[in-house]
Parts: sequence; structure tokens; C-alpha cells
Amino acid sequence: MNVNVQFREEGNRIYGVIEGEIDTYTAPMLREELEVITINKSSIIELDLSKVTYMDSTGLGVFVAFYKKVLKENAELKLVRLSSRLARLFEITGLSELMDIETDKKVEPANECI
Amino acid sequence: MRDHPTVNIVTELDIVAARRLSRYLAKEIGFGVVDQARIATATSELAKNIYLYATMGEIIVEKLEKDGRKGIAITAIDNGPGISDPRKILEDNYTTSNSQGVGLPGVKRLMDSIQINSELGKGTVIRIEKWLE
Amino acid sequence: MKELKVQYQKVLSDYLLNQNESNLYIGQNLVRQLMKSNVSPEDLVSIHKQSLEYIVPDLPDSVLNSFDFLIEVMVDFGLMLKEHQSLLLKQEEIRIEMEIAAKIQNLLLETKIPKPNGLDIGMVSVPVRKMNGDYVHFMHDDGKYFSVAVTDVVGKGVPAALCMSMVKYGLDTLEYANNNPSYVLEVLNRIIEKSVDDSMFVSMFYGRYDLEKDIFTFGSAGHEPALYYNSKQQTFTDLDSNGLLLGVLPEMKYSQTDIHLSENDFIIMITDGVTEFRKMDNFDSRTYIKELAKSLNHLSAQEMCEKIFEYLNKLQDFLLEDDFTIVTIKKY
Repeated sequence: MNVNVQFREEGNRIYGVIEGEIDTYTAPMLREELEVITINKSSIIELDLSKVTYMDSTGLGVFVAFYKKVLKENAELKLVRLSSRLARLFEITGLSELMDIETDKKVEPANECI
Repeated sequence: MRDHPTVNIVTELDIVAARRLSRYLAKEIGFGVVDQARIATATSELAKNIYLYATMGEIIVEKLEKDGRKGIAITAIDNGPGISDPRKILEDNYTTSNSQGVGLPGVKRLMDSIQINSELGKGTVIRIEKWLE
Repeated sequence: MKELKVQYQKVLSDYLLNQNESNLYIGQNLVRQLMKSNVSPEDLVSIHKQSLEYIVPDLPDSVLNSFDFLIEVMVDFGLMLKEHQSLLLKQEEIRIEMEIAAKIQNLLLETKIPKPNGLDIGMVSVPVRKMNGDYVHFMHDDGKYFSVAVTDVVGKGVPAALCMSMVKYGLDTLEYANNNPSYVLEVLNRIIEKSVDDSMFVSMFYGRYDLEKDIFTFGSAGHEPALYYNSKQQTFTDLDSNGLLLGVLPEMKYSQTDIHLSENDFIIMITDGVTEFRKMDNFDSRTYIKELAKSLNHLSAQEMCEKIFEYLNKLQDFLLEDDFTIVTIKKY
């Protein structure tokens, strides 16, 4: 079980691809990885979750904390390419109303776990 | 203190010299082979800490005698970064087992007593003692 | 110690005379004894060296020196062993502490299922670890209203348990069962938002039942939707509302909805531990639970909860991944 993030910067845009499983054990790792990002005013951070094969509610906690931090800096956070399963988590918790979330129809849950 | 045999720790070779000195005196005092090995290992560890974290310092070895008992004391002095919480550094935890060597908890176990005086930014004095049974 | 040394010498010399299994067996038993008296690996090598010197005089220097070398090397192994032992002790202390904490939590968060007129209520709540991150709170005071809160702290273990105590006392201070669900959620949201760190949240499904009019009023804060079964039409409805998790933003507003219950209707409230199956990606757990609940409708509310837990637990090979809580309310 592991999680890692690859970052790429283009001007004021930061792209991150998160890969792996996010649960009680890996959530602290993800939090640390996200803490590394220097958020400037008006920077736009886009996190690609298409390679997240599993996430539980502890993972949500990490994203919400990060979202609040980004908000404080007057920057923007976007979560993109969520599988339907992940998107459901954000919907149920009411977070999809709050955060900018884009699902990816191409990522079917069937080939997630392989 | 200056009257006691001292080794300046600057290079890795000096660690070996400190081991040699402590083992020699331990033997002279009458410690057995196993205790000699323990004392040398503890000294080695202190010297290595100086070499790795303080870059410069010294190891002083003393013979002890009190109430008819004999013992040995090794003191490590450096002007390095210091230790913020000496009590914490003596606790077993995963960071000590992950790092190389036995760490200060190990040194404490090898000897009878350990005393740490440290000031952040100024340096550290560690004194360890072991007595003959 | 001296005695053990003498024994070692004897066992070793026996073995050198006769290399049979029985002498090896005796040797191993002796070492266990030595370990019990805290003989370290380096001590043992030294005892071995001395014994050998005694049994076989005139050993070449190279052999004797090699033992000194071994003693030196073994010092580190000995330390490792001691550290391991001390960590085991510490682990035991922590285990005992956890056990006491779990007991206190159970006492603090003990839930008594009330028996209001006209309603049959059942509940199963199983923690995946020692401390439960789920909590069910019932209130039934003057006989006119009955209320239920099903909560799940994001996160598990001790932090979740600590947070849960706060939720419990928040609910307790609201005192009466006739409060509006939206009001309850708004108050709790304020309490939690103020007091917990940025990555700690609570999801809650809150329902109030008017026992005279048989109206169930519910609100949800980021919680898994409850299931409502209409027995006349034989249909399920998700009791959903898009309320945000408690503790994310201050001054959140929560909506509430009324439904009317008739005879044999039931409502199942669950936490995400009931619907989340890590190892089963394509499994539609909610449909499965609906089918199951429908087939169990002849049972009491408590039996329904127990059966559903039993089936879902079996489905996951009895390896719960998350705290599991299910509450059923049946109108009879």
C-alpha cells in the first residue's frame, strides 16, 4: 500500500498526479506530499485522481484540509478525473458542492484495481 | 580533566583511536573481554556522534575509584549543534533502530550510567560510567 | 550464573564427546534458561570460549582470537535484543492503556435503545479496531418525539474516539428530542468546526420521529443516505440531502425533509463501513442491502440489523475494513 504524487509546474499552474491507495495508513504520507507545494496567490492547483485506486474517508480529510489551506491563500484547487466511485464519496459528503470536482467518464471502476 | 588521556575527534580514524584507548584502560582496570567490548562500543558510538554531527570534539577516558570499587568513565565533549531534549533521545523508538549504530539508548544499556548536558547551539557533554562488579 | 556456566561447560563437553541429538536438545534447553537469566549473546559467546578453553587446552591462538572477534560483533546483536525487549514492554503498556481507554469510551458512549410506542428499533455497531469511530445517539423524552443520530468520524482509532465524545456531549446539551434536525446539525457543525483540526470531520444523519403523526423528519451532514422502505408500494427511497460534513465550514445551513411512515415501513440508517467494500469494486452494496432488507422484513428490527451484518461480514470474509453501524426503525 502506497501513495505518491508527481508534480509539474507551468507558470502559476501546478499539476499533480496522485497514484495509489489513500487510507488511514497512507493519508499522512499524502498530507506530507501536499504540504511541499508552495501555494502563491492566484496559483491554480490541479490534482489528477485517475490513478487513485482506493480512497476512504480519511483521504477526504486530507483533501478538505488542503482545500482550506488553498482557500486561505486565495488560490484555486481543482480535483480532476475522479472515478465514479471516488466522485460518489465527494457527493455524499456534500463536498462536491464546495469544491471544484471533475469526474472522468473514461475511468471505469472495472479497470481501477489492476 | 586535562590530566586524563584524551583523543581529539576530527577524522574517522580518531574513532578507532578512542576505542583503542578505552579498551586499553578497561583491560588495565580489570574488566573482562565482554565488558571491554561493551565499553569500546559505547566509546565508539560517542566518538562517531561527534564525528557525524559536531565535526570536532574530544573523548576523555578516566579510571575511577570509589569506596574500594573500580570503574571507568568516558566523557565526550563537542561544540556541535546540541541536543534539544536529552531525555527524549534516550528513549527507544524507530528512529534509533533505523539509523546506523546503536544510538544513545544503546550506549546507556552498555554502561551503568549516562549523563547528558547539552545546550542548543553551544554543544554537548556526555559522560558515561561503568563499574567493576 | 556461575552454576549455569558450569552446566554449559558440561553440556558442551558431552556434545564434543558424542554429537547426538539428545545432547543438542539439552543444550537448547540450557540456552533458554540462560536467556531467562538475561545472558546476552556476547556473554554466551564468552561463556563458550571459556568452556572450550577448559575442555580443550592448547587451542591455537587463531581460534581464541576469533571468539574475541565474535564477542565484539555480538555486542550489537545483544543491544538489538535488549531494545526489542524494552519495546515489547512498552507495547504491552500501550495495549493496556488502549484497553482501558476503550472501556471508558464504551461507558461514555453507551447507547440504550429506547422503546417508543409504535416503533421497533434495532441496532448493530461494530468497531474495526478497539475504539469505535461510529456512534449512535437516541433520545426519547416526553413520549411525543423520538430522535436518532447516526454519526461517523472521518478517521479511525483514538483520534476519532476523542472527537466522538465531543459529538456526544454536543448532542446531550441539545437535551430535547423535539429539536429540528436542521437546527441540531447547525449547532453541532459550529461546535465541531471550532474545536477540531482541519482534517477531522464528522458525518451525521439525524432524524426526528413524531410519534403522534408518524412523521419522520431528517437531515444529513455528508452522511451515507439512509434507506426508506414503503411496504405498500414495495419501493425503496434514498433519504438524501446534500448537507456538508460537520466541521468543514462555519455557519452552514442544513435542510430537512419530512416523510410519513405507515405500517410495516422501515428506515435503515448506515455508516459508510456498511457500503464500502475495498476489495469488491463493482459491487453495488446499496442494492444488495435493499434486496436483503426486503427479504428480512418479517423479522424484528434488531434481527434485521444482525442478519444484515452477518451477511455483509461474510461477504467480506469476516474482515471488516471500517467501523460498521446499522440502525433500523420499523413502524408497526
